[in-house]
Amino acid sequence: MIGISFFRVIRNAFRNFRRNVWLSIATTLIMTLTLCIILFLYTVNVLGREFLRNVEQKVDIAVTFKDTTQLSEINTIQKDIAARSDVQNTRIVTSDEALAEYRKRHADNPYIEEALKELNSNPLPNSMYIVAKDPQFYENITSSLRSNQYEEYIEKINFQDTKIIIEKMIRIMNIIKTAAIIATGIFGLLVILIMFNTIRLAIYSFREEIDIMRLVGASRWYIQGPFLMESVLVALISVSIATTILYVSLNTMAKNVNLFVFTGQNTNFDIYQYAVSHWIQIIGLQLVAAISLAVLSSYVAIRRYLR
Amino acid sequence: MITFTKVSKKYADLSPALQEVTIKIPTGDFVSIVGQSGAGKSTMLKLLSAEEKPTQGNIVIDGWDITKIKNWQVPYLRRQIGVVFQDFKLLPKRTAFENIAFAMEVGGAQPKEIRTSVSQILKLVNLTDKAHTYPNEMSGGERQRVSIARALAYKPQILLADEPTGNLDALNSWDIVQLLMKINRLGTTVLLATHNDDIVNALKKRVITLNQGKIISDQQAGTYKL
Ligand SMILES: Nc1ncnc2c1ncn2[C@@H]1O[C@H](COP(=O)(O)OP(=O)(O)OP(=O)(O)O)[C@@H](O)[C@H]1O
Ligand SMILES: [Mg+2]
Repeated sequence: MIGISFFRVIRNAFRNFRRNVWLSIATTLIMTLTLCIILFLYTVNVLGREFLRNVEQKVDIAVTFKDTTQLSEINTIQKDIAARSDVQNTRIVTSDEALAEYRKRHADNPYIEEALKELNSNPLPNSMYIVAKDPQFYENITSSLRSNQYEEYIEKINFQDTKIIIEKMIRIMNIIKTAAIIATGIFGLLVILIMFNTIRLAIYSFREEIDIMRLVGASRWYIQGPFLMESVLVALISVSIATTILYVSLNTMAKNVNLFVFTGQNTNFDIYQYAVSHWIQIIGLQLVAAISLAVLSSYVAIRRYLR
Repeated sequence: MITFTKVSKKYADLSPALQEVTIKIPTGDFVSIVGQSGAGKSTMLKLLSAEEKPTQGNIVIDGWDITKIKNWQVPYLRRQIGVVFQDFKLLPKRTAFENIAFAMEVGGAQPKEIRTSVSQILKLVNLTDKAHTYPNEMSGGERQRVSIARALAYKPQILLADEPTGNLDALNSWDIVQLLMKINRLGTTVLLATHNDDIVNALKKRVITLNQGKIISDQQAGTYKL
């Protein structure tokens, strides 16, 4: 009994969808658009998080020592710094190591080798890299390095660059997020309005049937179910379309996106692979958003026009 | 058995449509309800199908006090009570067969059950050859027969007919009344609200006369007198 009634409710939901097919399609499109914006927001979030994680990991304070500073002095300084509670680790790169690394990186460039040979001495200085336990500690570490104690040994301290990048990135991300959240809100509202009217019109088109259903003893579920299910149907179609759009566009654009966001970073993060492995999260997020919008608006329409 | 105990119904602030109506209708009865326009005939039937709730008093159908019926229980009541109206209330885009099947689908009947039942009911109302005809291709009498057939879809114990012949000529009216009698003979309690004095007089069945919401006469084998 339950089975056949459920089947009929679903069948009637499809019938409702067809009765005002253009309006149903318009509703589906708006909802798809809304989901696309939400997915965009999601993608930006993932990319931004990954970017920051990389940058933050890489951030270190590069201390360049004067040529006059002895290695033993450098080791003492390193001990001092490494003992700090806000420092994660320290690493010394001697001028020889730096040169070797430089050679290795440009092994395929003969001109570099030529140029190096022409120099009698190693142009690269001794340096030390410091990674803080948290980016917020860099400020403190830097200022203590700038104190008189170290002045005669240290040539310069580099770190501001990455800090600016981080801040800039956070700012850009916040702008994109705010814009996307506002757009989600506006489109969500639009979805509710259009969905509400679609269901209202569907109820209006079927008022004769509804009257007779009541007359012959239809249950509340049998009468209201199709309108609720019509909105869920729209939600499901929208989720399928938006998901397809997401994966197709990420698949075609992933290379460029990865290049654009992570150039110069030591990562093999791939946004498409990420999306593929997080499919449950992506589809779940959409289902929650789409079905709650749909059910909310159709529920209100049903309460108002199907009493 | 249907019992009304001191039932009153007041719409809004108007004078009451029914006042302290007390009656007993045994199962299998055929009762005509007569009275001038506005006397409260339709109100009586609407109280029975829970379309309206009484302001005061109790209505009990086979031991079920429907006075305080919950909204979710109404469908179950409706499936035990068939209703027929002056304006048929058929779906124009559905054939006679589909109109009847529609009512059965609502109640969760299986397709096979629907096919056999609808055919049987169509035979009962003598419309087998019009099964696949649309309402606008039928005469008023035929339409009313489809509407009665639909009311019978759940094999109800009670059939409420509110001026079923109001839109029909004398001949068709007689057809409908004959059909109601036949349904009554098969065991269904029939309540017929009507203005048609010829029919009431010819029926020689119980007649309840209402006037301004009150019962002014209740006769077995009664006549139409106002
Ligand atoms: N929904 C309603 N709201 C307000 N008043 C109503 C409503 N339905 C009926 N009435 C009033 O209640 C009284 C009884 O109406 P009812 O329909 O029962 O009369 P009736 O005997 O069926 O009349 P008729 O022969 O014209 O069909 C009338 O005065 C009518 O105006
Ligand atoms: Mg009436």
